[in-house]
Amino acid sequence: MTIRRRLTIWYAVVLAASLLLISWATYQEFAEQSERGREREAEGSALGEAAEIIFRVGLPAVILGIGGGWWLTRRALKPIAELTRAAKGIDERTLDRALPRSGNGDELDELAGVLNAMQARLKEGFSQIREFTLHASHELKTPLTVMHGELETSLRDNDLLPAERDRIISQLDELHRLSKIVDGLTLLTRADSGEVKLKMAPLRLDELVRDLHGDTVILAEPAGIKVELSVCEEATVMGDAHRLRQLLLNLADNAVKYNQAGGSISMSLRRAGDAAQFDLANTGPGIGPDILPRVFDRFFRGDPAHGSSVEGCGLGLSIAQWIAAAHGGTIHIESTPSRLTTVTLRLPFRRPDGS
Amino acid sequence: MRVLVVEDEKKTASFIRKALQNEGFAVDVCHNGNDALAAVEATPFDAIVLDIMLPGRDGLSVLRHLREGKNATPVLLLSARGEVDERVEGLNAGADDYLGKPFVLVELVARVRALGRRSAGESKSTLLRVADLTLDTVTRQARRGGKNFELTAREYRLLEFLMRSAGRICGRMAILEKVWDYDFDPGSNLVDVYIMRLREKIDAGFEPKLFHTVRGMGYLMKDTP
Repeated sequence: MTIRRRLTIWYAVVLAASLLLISWATYQEFAEQSERGREREAEGSALGEAAEIIFRVGLPAVILGIGGGWWLTRRALKPIAELTRAAKGIDERTLDRALPRSGNGDELDELAGVLNAMQARLKEGFSQIREFTLHASHELKTPLTVMHGELETSLRDNDLLPAERDRIISQLDELHRLSKIVDGLTLLTRADSGEVKLKMAPLRLDELVRDLHGDTVILAEPAGIKVELSVCEEATVMGDAHRLRQLLLNLADNAVKYNQAGGSISMSLRRAGDAAQFDLANTGPGIGPDILPRVFDRFFRGDPAHGSSVEGCGLGLSIAQWIAAAHGGTIHIESTPSRLTTVTLRLPFRRPDGS
Repeated sequence: MRVLVVEDEKKTASFIRKALQNEGFAVDVCHNGNDALAAVEATPFDAIVLDIMLPGRDGLSVLRHLREGKNATPVLLLSARGEVDERVEGLNAGADDYLGKPFVLVELVARVRALGRRSAGESKSTLLRVADLTLDTVTRQARRGGKNFELTAREYRLLEFLMRSAGRICGRMAILEKVWDYDFDPGSNLVDVYIMRLREKIDAGFEPKLFHTVRGMGYLMKDTP
């Protein structure tokens, strides 16, 4: 029950109670009067007269009262409704949007002020985390460069025993993975603070998809996975070619990695209303409903037992989702475990805000 | 070939110097921007490896100063930030190439060598040859031992790139950049799989094997094991 309705009901109850009181007093008064005038006038009903007055005067008063109460509470609660609407529109990206203040110094104005102050502290916290992550990833790059360079230099030594060489190469592989993680972290952190600029230009999505199909056929061949491009309709979107290729390759790469030997992959690109829709379906173990909502989370790995056999930095899908969102589009995954997993990417033909 | 390395991080400067010296280059090292400008004034270099983050005058400012002074020495920028905008900014400021940190050392060496070739004026041969494999870059025809190979566009670009750098290790990043136009590592084993395909087509049934994997670094084509 909303505050407004509750207040109105209380108001109506109070009004009704006072009306009853007035009625009772009126009745007493009339009863007394008729007692005194019984000799002069004919027998008249005090009750009837009182009821008539109550009906004629009291009822309109009650209706007016209830209506007025409704209007009054609505007026009083309007700032709260506005506050609610404004606060709903705030997420971690729009924390600098302050709540509107009436400036009249009442309790609600004070509440808005307190909420704004809290929001400012939150924003501060978020930007501190971002800055920390950004600095941390920059700082990690220097030691990574040194380690990589020195390991590579030591590989040049021709007297290395094969076992030592293998060990160094394995360390280089891990360093490569670490660098990928740091790169992904830097990209996402910068994207969060809106620092990554996309180079938007009209782009033939169907050409990118054909290219992707060619690469995926070859990526999938060693595992005996068949890849088909069933439909590829012409579609031009505004987009950053590099980022969209990164996004598409990431999806295709997952479709190969999380597949089964002898499985299949099917792609299609269609025009669907005001968006281009790219579907990518693959066979394989699939994603359970319990972890499906979390696959876009950073560093999220489904089943640890499965995760360890597939290499990657754990940020691929987060980056894919960011790229889609930055183009005003969406990514959606549906999965029937051990049957089919379908990723749907929708990119609008025109970006909604034109920015 | 004489190369100037401008890098404030001592250890990084040291292994870059070692790697370039190994290639037979003469290498000078500076640790800050002003020293670098003074060094370029005093000595002509064939290429400069320039870190962007330097104490005092940063790499981009050194680069702009050089280009304003009509100094056209090829420059390879290094940066720990590795961002697309920065790469564009660097290339606009007159850099010839850009490499994000951390990098694979053989990539850096290959790029510096390419810069040197660029300044010397590279000859663009239309018939590439490694052992008995030939690639005609006009007809896009690959032949070995009297056999013609069907190549997809991507396979052709990869083969041409590897043959043009025959005898030298090509890093994965360089291959992704030149053959796929990716300026990021897509985290996929695309390159490995394509090399495997070329190997199946071109090396199967022939001796010597021409495609070699250098684990942890990249690939190279050569006719000796």
